[in-house]
Amino acid sequence: MTAIEAGTELPPLQRAVTLTDMVAYAGATWDWHRLHYDPGYLAERGLSAPVVDGQMLAALLAEQAQDALGPSAFLRRLQFRFRNLVFAGETVRCTARVTACEGLADGTALVTLAASVGVVGADARVAVAPAHLEVHVR
Amino acid sequence: MPLLTDDLRARVGEIRAYTAAEPLSRASIRYYAAAVGDANPLYTDRDRARAVGWADVIAPPTLLCDSNQYLGGTERDADGFAGHSWGIEPPNCRMVRGGNDYVFHRPAYPDDVVTVTWRLADISERTSGAGQEMLIVTSEATFTDQHGTLLLVNTETIIHIALGEVDA
Repeated sequence: MTAIEAGTELPPLQRAVTLTDMVAYAGATWDWHRLHYDPGYLAERGLSAPVVDGQMLAALLAEQAQDALGPSAFLRRLQFRFRNLVFAGETVRCTARVTACEGLADGTALVTLAASVGVVGADARVAVAPAHLEVHVR
Repeated sequence: MPLLTDDLRARVGEIRAYTAAEPLSRASIRYYAAAVGDANPLYTDRDRARAVGWADVIAPPTLLCDSNQYLGGTERDADGFAGHSWGIEPPNCRMVRGGNDYVFHRPAYPDDVVTVTWRLADISERTSGAGQEMLIVTSEATFTDQHGTLLLVNTETIIHIALGEVDA
């Protein structure tokens, strides 16, 4: 693990989100909203493809921070705003940068991160921004 | 006509609480991690989780925020949705998610029987830069275990955007 200080970029997390992944996520969260898989429902609303559950993108931000800051890190806060929908088959990329690393009296540290999620490829756009994370690194 | 009616305004402060029918379970934790594609052993290997001070495997932090397991899935609306809803549906609007603020106090364990208490924290009205009327609904969900220990608080913003042309 590289030194954590203000300005450190975490390794980016990039993932293709297939319809199969979305069906798995819908099952794992007991969320059977038709927006995530039903072509008839989508067509009635002028949407060309199933919509990725936005909170799945938050899961990726949490994964990126946990992987970068190690198994003993504890995510204390994750705050984010949605900007654009993501559709089945698109690839997203999470980027995160350390904005502060505050040493605590017990030798642990509180790391804050500024992050975002973007869609990469032909129709590149912002999906989630800004995102703010606070991680207790023990 | 304003989106924010007196009837809606009177609902701010409403509370609904739900308790899961069973413990969260190892299977739910493993299923969620697999669905996300997160191979972190903290979610599946008890020894690895214990090595960093947890009592058991832990759930990925966003699992509780997004799972409707605590509701049991027996009641679905016309959209197929089986989660908590206030039933706020202003006419001729489309709904979008604004964002969330998750504050985590302790990871969830497989043996946790979760109670979720939803509070209708605020309803406000705004006009977008493009001149669209919007109703902004803010809810706060507090998650506790069977001993009353606080696990997390999720503050969620849902936006209802009026469709069609805005009258001059």
